[in-house]
Amino acid sequence: MIVTVTLNPAIDEEYVVPEFRPGGWFRVSRVQRSPGGKGINVSLILKQLGVETAAMGFLAGFSGEYVRDVLRKAQITTNFLHVRGETRTNVYIVDEIGKVETGLAELGPYISEDEIARFLSNYERILKRTELVVLGGSLPPGVPQDFYCELIRLAKQREIPTLIDAAGAPLLAALDEGPTYAKVDQRFMATYEGVALNSLDNLIEAVQRVHSHGVEWVIASYRTYGNVFCTHEGVFLAEFDRKGIVSMFGSGEALIAGLILGGQERMETKDRIMFGMAAALENALHVEKGIRDRAAVERQIPRIRFERLL
Amino acid sequence: MRISEVMDRDLTALSAETTLSEAIEILTRHRVSGLPVVDGAGRVVGFISEKDIVKAALPGYFDYLQDPSFIPDYGQFQKRLKKIGKDPVSKIMAKEIISFSEEDSDFYVAITLIRNHLKRAPVVRNGILVGVVNRADLLERIMLEEESPSFA
Repeated sequence: MIVTVTLNPAIDEEYVVPEFRPGGWFRVSRVQRSPGGKGINVSLILKQLGVETAAMGFLAGFSGEYVRDVLRKAQITTNFLHVRGETRTNVYIVDEIGKVETGLAELGPYISEDEIARFLSNYERILKRTELVVLGGSLPPGVPQDFYCELIRLAKQREIPTLIDAAGAPLLAALDEGPTYAKVDQRFMATYEGVALNSLDNLIEAVQRVHSHGVEWVIASYRTYGNVFCTHEGVFLAEFDRKGIVSMFGSGEALIAGLILGGQERMETKDRIMFGMAAALENALHVEKGIRDRAAVERQIPRIRFERLL
Repeated sequence: MRISEVMDRDLTALSAETTLSEAIEILTRHRVSGLPVVDGAGRVVGFISEKDIVKAALPGYFDYLQDPSFIPDYGQFQKRLKKIGKDPVSKIMAKEIISFSEEDSDFYVAITLIRNHLKRAPVVRNGILVGVVNRADLLERIMLEEESPSFA
């Protein structure tokens, strides 16, 4: 089983507001509410691709009930710890005309030491029948910055591969532990080991450095619609154009879900990257987060531009 | 219909060493009336419900509670509840449990739950917890089904 860990889940509220700007008062033309947080998104998209997962992490209050309820209806296995407080709400404002996205993220509920300990015992229990652990997103208040290290270490002890999609201090700490896959969220990370992530050359240098720390697959976003991939087979760039794109929201997780499926089906590296990128593109073609189905993803494969960089 | 379609694939569970006070906290926080008890591998070893905890805090009085004319002594109940709070779940959990497999039919599961006066029961695969079934969810499902189901 694949386990996704979302320590700080959210309700994602996506508002479509034409010509949105700060200081104005706007009518929302559409609103989309969905459970969110990177791990949960990966679980939902993998479900759409027909892959079973178990989602775990912390949930709280009314918003937490909502998240659990949606996952339950999607028949996704859950093992969340319910805590005091309220699961956060993240607001995204999408301007389809100006093609601008604005985001507001809350911090999330406070997690006590006892609750962390309880989570760890659930985690160790589930690891006994896990084939891959997906760790994603920010840490809620109370969770130590190096917590992902511990989760990776516990998985490694059982020779279970790990994938991390995070940013900032929690990601940097996790990289030391050598996860199998790492996706660097460039939106929240300007430099890596002193290298500014502003040009393609610098980005290549950074992903190679991460790779040299023992991370088998490094994925870093490049510009808006591209990603750089570093594996033992080389460094690759895959991109798509902006035609028809409504919202990139959730596309990072669609990419991860696509790569996981490709891994399960033992696709060649190039096909795996193409499939992952096609999932990211399919996700971006509509406001609804997630993909329509596998066939819809496959239809987007011809739109992916793939290039070997090194 | 198989219960794999109706069951709640939630793995929230207690371990045999969990204290009763912690168990009460988890039951409340998760808003459920009972939870499976599992070992380190996720194997179901028991089930504990709020009813079991009430029973344990009111030894001998429980039967009187069924009688509407009986007024429980609140102070004494609280004292006993706090006292047993440090006990492990294993002390009072049901060890002979009724569990189901994902292939069981919804009708069979509903009848078994009703006959045994159970609200919730674990669903297992090779002894490992994979979810729970709730009586209320099953009743709703059976109500919505078109024809009366067979026992087959």
